[in-house]
Order: sequence, then C-alpha cells, then structure tokens
Amino acid sequence: MAKDPSPSSELTPERASPHSAEAPVIDASLRTPLVVLIGSALVWLLIASVLGLVSAWKLHTPAFLDSCEFLTYGRIQPAQSNAFIYGWSFNAAFAVSLWLMARLSRGALPGCGVLLIGTLFWNAGVTLGIGGILTGFSTSIEWLELPGFATPLLLVAYALIAAWTLVVFRAGRSHEIYASQWYIFAALFWFPWIYSIAQVMLVFSPVRGTVQSVVQAWFASNLFLLWFASIALAAIYYFLPKLLLKPVSNYYLASLSFWWFAVFGSWAGISRLIGGPVPAWVQTVGAAASFMLIVPLVILWMNFFGTLSNRWSSLKGDITLRFMGFGIVAFMLVLAVWVLGALHGVAAITQFTYVTVAEAQLGLYGFFSMVVFGALYYIVPRVLNTSWASKPLIGLHFTASAVGVVLLVGSLAVGGISQGRLLADASVAFADVTKATQPYLFAANIALVILAVGQLAFALNFFWTLGRAAAPAVRSAKDLLSVQPEAAR
Amino acid sequence: MNRAPFIFLGVFCALAFSFVGLVLTNQLTYGSFTTHVDEDEGKAFPLQSPGLAAQGKLVYQDLGCVACHTQQVRRPGFGSDTGEGSRGWGERQSVARDYLRESRVLIGSQRVGPDLRNFAARKNAAGTEPTAESLYHYLFDPTLVSKDSAMPRYAFLFKSQQILGEPSTKALKLTGTHAAQPGYEIVPTARGEALVAYLLSLKDTYAYPETKNVYTPPAPQKKAGAPHGETKVEEKKEGHQ
Repeated sequence: MAKDPSPSSELTPERASPHSAEAPVIDASLRTPLVVLIGSALVWLLIASVLGLVSAWKLHTPAFLDSCEFLTYGRIQPAQSNAFIYGWSFNAAFAVSLWLMARLSRGALPGCGVLLIGTLFWNAGVTLGIGGILTGFSTSIEWLELPGFATPLLLVAYALIAAWTLVVFRAGRSHEIYASQWYIFAALFWFPWIYSIAQVMLVFSPVRGTVQSVVQAWFASNLFLLWFASIALAAIYYFLPKLLLKPVSNYYLASLSFWWFAVFGSWAGISRLIGGPVPAWVQTVGAAASFMLIVPLVILWMNFFGTLSNRWSSLKGDITLRFMGFGIVAFMLVLAVWVLGALHGVAAITQFTYVTVAEAQLGLYGFFSMVVFGALYYIVPRVLNTSWASKPLIGLHFTASAVGVVLLVGSLAVGGISQGRLLADASVAFADVTKATQPYLFAANIALVILAVGQLAFALNFFWTLGRAAAPAVRSAKDLLSVQPEAAR
Repeated sequence: MNRAPFIFLGVFCALAFSFVGLVLTNQLTYGSFTTHVDEDEGKAFPLQSPGLAAQGKLVYQDLGCVACHTQQVRRPGFGSDTGEGSRGWGERQSVARDYLRESRVLIGSQRVGPDLRNFAARKNAAGTEPTAESLYHYLFDPTLVSKDSAMPRYAFLFKSQQILGEPSTKALKLTGTHAAQPGYEIVPTARGEALVAYLLSLKDTYAYPETKNVYTPPAPQKKAGAPHGETKVEEKKEGHQ
C-alpha cells in the first residue's frame, strides 16, 4: 500500500486541498439519514442502559423482579447486549462510516430514500429481535441471540445501508484512498460475510457438535475486530491528524497494521476456546494468532501516540480528541488483555469469569463507543449546521463516561480475577465464590448508573440541538458556518 | 490511481483465509464426526436424549440459562473442574463427541453458576445424585435446597392447582410461607417438567477412547491406555504451551 508520504496527502482532503467549500454541501446532503441513524442509536443506547441496570441489579440481588419471566437474567442480559450491539453500536457505526466515507471521497449523497428504508428495516429487525429474546425466542448463542425471524431483515437492511455507503464512495471525486477508507471499505464487506455464515451455520442449518462453538467464536471476535474496531480505527485515523493539524506519525506503517489485523486478527478470537471441547490445534492456532496481535498493537501505538506526542495539551481543549484519546488507550488495553488471555496459565483463571465481561465492556464501551462519541461531537454540529446546545452537558458526558468505564471495567476485572482464583481452588465452596464477587458486582452496578447519567446528558444534548436546528428562527447559513469550528472544540 | 479493486481483493482474501482455515477446515474434518458404537453395550454413544429432555433443552435455551452456566468440563489440571482435588464437575473432561447429537451446542462462557455438563451424575455433599423432586424444589426457590444459593427463583415454572382426588405425585412439599393454600397444591408446569427432565439427562459418563489420553500437568499420572497416539501428541503439545 505504497502511499505518497508527503504530509499534505496524509491530511484529510478538506484541509489539504482547496475543496473545503464543498464540505458544507456534503454535510447538508447527509443531514436526514444521519439524524435518523444517530437518533435511533441514542434511543437504543438508553434502552440498553435500562436493561443493563436491571440485569446488573439481578446479578447481586437475585430476588429482584424474579417473578417475571420476561425479566429473567438469562433473557434480559442478552437483550441488553444485543440492544447495545445491534441497536446503538451498529446505528452509530453506520452514521460515522457514512459521514467519513462522504467526506473522504468528497461525494455528496445522491438522495437518501434507500438509506432511510434501510435504517427503518434495521431498527425494525432489532426491535423484533429484542422482543423475541424477552419473550423466549432467544437462540442462546452469545452475541447472536436475536431469533432467526429477525435476522434476515437485518441482512436486507444492512445491504441497503452498506450499498449506499459504497455509492457515496464511488460517486466521490477523490481518487486517493485513505487509511480510514480501507477500514470502512473492508468492514462493510466483512460484516455481512461473518454474519451470514454465522446465521446459516448456527441458526438456520446448524453444523454438528462443537463446530458450532468454533463458528461462534470466529464470528464474535471478528464482529469486534473486523467490524467495530475497523470503524473506530477509521474515525481515529481521520480525526487525529485533522484536529491536531499534523500528519499521522509513521503513517506508512498503517497499511501494515491494517493487513495484519485482517489476516491474523481474524484467527485470534478462537483463543477463547482454550481448554474447550474443540480440537487442540484450533486452540493452539488461536493462541498463536492472538500473540501476533502484538504487531498491530505496536504499530497503532506508534501511529497514535507518535501523533499525539507534544500535543497532549490539545486533548484538554478538544472534546473529540479527548474521547478518542480515551478510546485509543482502551483499545491498546483490549489488545494487551487479548494477548495475555491466550496464555494458558492466565486462561485457566480468567476463563468463564467477569474478566471476560470486563474485556468486552472495555472493547465495546471504552474503545468503540468512546471513539464514536468523539466523532459524533464533531459530526453533529456540522450536519445540523448549528453548535451544540449545551457545553456543560458535553463535559458531563465525558466525565461520566470516563469515570464509569474505568470503574466498570476495573471492578469487573478485579472481581473476575478473584472469582477465577477462588473457582480454581476446589476447597472454596461455590456459594462462597459467588459471595466474594458481590461487592465488585455492586461497584459495577454503580458504574452503570454513572454511565447512564452520561448517556442521558448526551441524548438530551443531541435532541436539544436537533430541536434548535429545526427551529424556524435559524440564523443565516453564513453566521452558522463561522460558529462551527468552536462548536466541536 | 484507483486501487479499490486491489484493496477489495486483499480484503476478500484476508477473511477467506480465516474462513477456510477455521470454519471450513473444522467443518470438513470433524463436522462429520460420528457416534461411537460400543459393541459390548450394543449402543451408539452419545445416547439420544429422551423426547421430554429435548423439549426441556428448548426451555433451557429460551430462559437463557447459558448466560450463567457453562456446559464444558475442562481437563484435569486446567482449572478445577475435574481430576484429583477438583470440584468434581465431571468424571472426565468434555470432548467434541459429547455434543454430537445436540442441534444447538451451548458450551457457554460464564460461570456465574456451576458448570452443568455432568450435572445429573454429580453427587451432592450428602452423596446423592440430583432427583426430580430436589430439582423442582430448587427451581421453585433455590434457598429451600441450598440456603446460600445465588440463583433466582423460577417460580413461574410452577402453578397452583386444586387437589382433585389424589394429590399429584409431583406436588412440591412446601411448608410455612411457601405452602399452597388449603385444598391446593403447587406442581410444575409442562415447561418446568421438561426443564427438569433435561437437567437430569445431563450425564457425560461414558468413556470414549479419546477421553482416556489426556495430558495432565503433574507428571506422575496413569499411563495411556489404548494406542491413540495422535490425540495424545496433540493434547501434549497444547498442554505445554
């Protein structure tokens, strides 16, 4: 992936070329679909938050709401994770990738009907699926619990949305393909592959025996690495140089880490089956592939921290950078934990404990969601052509999210390690293991409350801003444009 | 310069590599794994589970029990699932063949509660294996059976019905605040019965040839029985890693 290494080409086209004038046109063309996507994402985020609070409460107080079959932990927990993944994360990922693709390809959206239909179908599918889980149609396959009657709808909706994102890419006038675009382009193609394979081989025409477990592990890890992480990395590669006004350090290595992720990362998730009833070579290959993640870890470190070095002060002033900085650190930690978890001695303790939950939360919340929050703080004011309605709410959102994630992941990780050590000691009764984890689960529950406060602040701010933008007394476009730069900072 | 086609090709090949390597290879090599016919016993293992248990599995699935319970016993020396000085969750580790007859494999990933793979063959502190009666009571209110249990109640799997003629043999023996009102009894619903039948079918006690050659870290272990060299070598490699 040889690339012209001159600094200007590493900046985004908007700044590097005299095309800045077209940015408002592109943003305006994206307004309706982005508002719908971000709006639905936020509604799902709040729903997932409520479900998460209920399920977390049940974990340390089993009698809570236990007379209601719909609210059994086994149903509400997958409902929460699926609402978070397919409701919040996917809608948000669609919004961010669409905007990034349009900006980088310098193409305005040629109409949004198909996109809106796609979004409608997607959200209908998720609603149907979550309803299905709560009423007892869960497949009970982790991260794929949405019942078979909802998922074809998701695939159709996905096809519409992804096709339209590619239309924007093709319609664009830029001939350069940036690191962000590789990631989005690849992610758009990878997701339907892994998802349809998982649906066919697990739900519609299940394969025999524990081949199912291999397919599930392959799907779940690739959903994180090849879809969520790809979209978030695309955003980081776009915003970091743009907001710091300097090229990405060691940018020439970015393509290496991209291909490394694609080729070896897609094997790495299988390491979660260590010690399980699958062939030994599968476990060994998974562990080996996990160790290989050290290479992209080092490259991303050089790319991101190299770019940030000497510019740490900008993190303070720029909310987008602050969220992304947090996300970058979280991703490094996720990869490090992933590598460690593939070690036999570590897996024997951490497997099946809250450590794995902590790892998933660190990846989906600490990394992906934080990066997306940051991106949305930049995108929304441009697309709506107005500044954020409230600055204090932005500050509250960041503080609550950062504190919440640290507390949540910290308590689950520490609680999980103690749980694992006690489980490994057969002389400790199982009930005592459960008892020992209670304080940590309670702390995690408090963390979820803090996170929910941040999410409420964000949702409130978004809908408030939306209301202001839609108000008839809109200032003239020229005035608004001049306010924009400080809006996101 | 338009490099999109090349990127696309690379992107395709990258995932194709892991798809073929992991998904297809496994499907081709052991996706067609067969049952083990034991000529002495005249049966093919694993045994087909009885019809009611199969229905119960659907209840297990729809209630999401897998969110808290794994169904995989790890080998001796890896965790404390089985072997000497372990929790005794299984008589042996789980192997791929155990899951052959299951249309949905729920090995799970969380142990909020204990592993259930070999639940029905596991003795409690008093040395008895679980019975339908004890399970009904446990599901109705876990603290009736184990006072420290952190499992929620599944009282919705039971119903109160008027005693007409002879009381039901499945009626729960409840006292105090739990007891049914006079003239009534509390019995499991059809789903409750199915779930219990399923839980009582969870027994991995048959020793397949491949379960005999498991590497266990503490060196002085019993030597391998049957000459299944390949399995042994693989397991060893993995254990040393």
